[in-house]
Amino acid sequence: MTIILSAKNVGLEFKIREGLFKSFRHQALQDISFEVARGETFGVIGKNGSGKSSLLQVLAGLLAPTSGRLELPEGPIKRSLLTLGLGFRADLSGADNVILSLILQGFSKQRAHSMLSEIQEFADIGEYFNKPVRTYSAGMRARVGFATGVCSEVDVLLIDEVLSVGDAQFKQRAERTMLDRISGQQTVILVSQSPAQIRDLCDRALWIHDSSIKEIGEPGHVSRAYVKHFELDAPTNSI
Amino acid sequence: MNIRQSISLIDLQARMSLKSEASRLYLSYLWWVFEPLLFVGVFYVVFQFLLARGQENFVLFLMCGKIPYLWFSKSITMASNSLLMNKGLIAAANLPKIIFPYISIQEVLYKQWIVFLVLFIVATYYGSYPDPIWFWLIPLVITNYVFLLCLSLIAAMLVTYVQDFRILINMGLLFLMFASGIFWDIHDIQSEYWRNFVMTANPLAFIIDAYRLIIIDNVLYDTQHLFCLFIIFSTGTLIAHKLFAKLNYSLTRQVLQS
Repeated sequence: MTIILSAKNVGLEFKIREGLFKSFRHQALQDISFEVARGETFGVIGKNGSGKSSLLQVLAGLLAPTSGRLELPEGPIKRSLLTLGLGFRADLSGADNVILSLILQGFSKQRAHSMLSEIQEFADIGEYFNKPVRTYSAGMRARVGFATGVCSEVDVLLIDEVLSVGDAQFKQRAERTMLDRISGQQTVILVSQSPAQIRDLCDRALWIHDSSIKEIGEPGHVSRAYVKHFELDAPTNSI
Repeated sequence: MNIRQSISLIDLQARMSLKSEASRLYLSYLWWVFEPLLFVGVFYVVFQFLLARGQENFVLFLMCGKIPYLWFSKSITMASNSLLMNKGLIAAANLPKIIFPYISIQEVLYKQWIVFLVLFIVATYYGSYPDPIWFWLIPLVITNYVFLLCLSLIAAMLVTYVQDFRILINMGLLFLMFASGIFWDIHDIQSEYWRNFVMTANPLAFIIDAYRLIIIDNVLYDTQHLFCLFIIFSTGTLIAHKLFAKLNYSLTRQVLQS
């Protein structure tokens, strides 16, 4: 088992300024330690504001931890945070936005162009693919964003609650792709608020609560503990 | 991301921004030509028609001042907001933050060539024909670019950390508009001491005067002065690059918290 990513006592603190001499400190993450193996699907569950997205930003390399460290193996490890077209420019076509996104992820222009048809096929939004994104529905935007993320080959794919967006047909398709990826060699870190999703899709899971780890281990166990804590009714087939 | 990828990304983003802007406007890319022409039209109506300023080539004189100034001020204004404007992208992709002000600077630059073309056409209309001395415009334009590049990068960093700087930058740009000899001639300052002081302390005043010397008078500017400016602002740009690399994570945090 090769470790692709290892968090060692990771902490993240924000200093938020309110005025000239007034500021407060917000501890977004506290003493987080875990390891992710190559090819593993690792789930992160937690309620809003628990620190899930901050953790994902640290894992994606966008933010450096303020304490502890994140260890990666030698050599380039391509990590990509899957967003649902959040950074898309509304006045450009889906195709142009896909090219931009791919180049932002570090692909060459030629490589980005060669990946375009596969992404277009997966997004499956017909002629809209070449129309400005401002004419898209939220679902169409999500489709293009998701397609761009999953079709690009990265070492670690970080997914932030994206499978809850889009229509039923798209969700099914997204889940199928996820399963394909999971059965392959793709390392996935999936953030979700759905215990069922974590239980069904992940090999291991972590429950983050008030910026710290509450539970870590087998996804069934973590989901049950999470449900019990919040007395939630876990939907059996939420994807 | 290596340098080649960064340059390719900056170039593509700048072109896409221009495409995006053009798609929002009915006249699309035609505005690239119309905008400078409208400027000339307004200057002509006000200064030569309404005020009947005696100087025959006053419109050309104004354009030689206004065009480099607009290039400078547009670059600084756009670059200073560039990181905060791209919060969505900064929250999603781990990119060197210096890319964002560069995209804004290139976006303005790509429109600039047509503005200069209009300037040259107007110059010909007023009887200032291209002369071999016009080749000295090349080092001048390059120094002009390095000058605005250095200040834009610094402005982008300052505004990201303390947004109050945006107000100061706007005030500074307004001050420079009046202090750089756009509407008046630096050589009209009677005192030699103050004339030299303005030229030395305000690089924009020197640059604008240099454009006028070449285009209107066909006279070479002080090349040593220009070389000094080039060295100073190239060094400043290099330092800004180092700072951006050092503060990469800190800038991300700042943008995400804004």
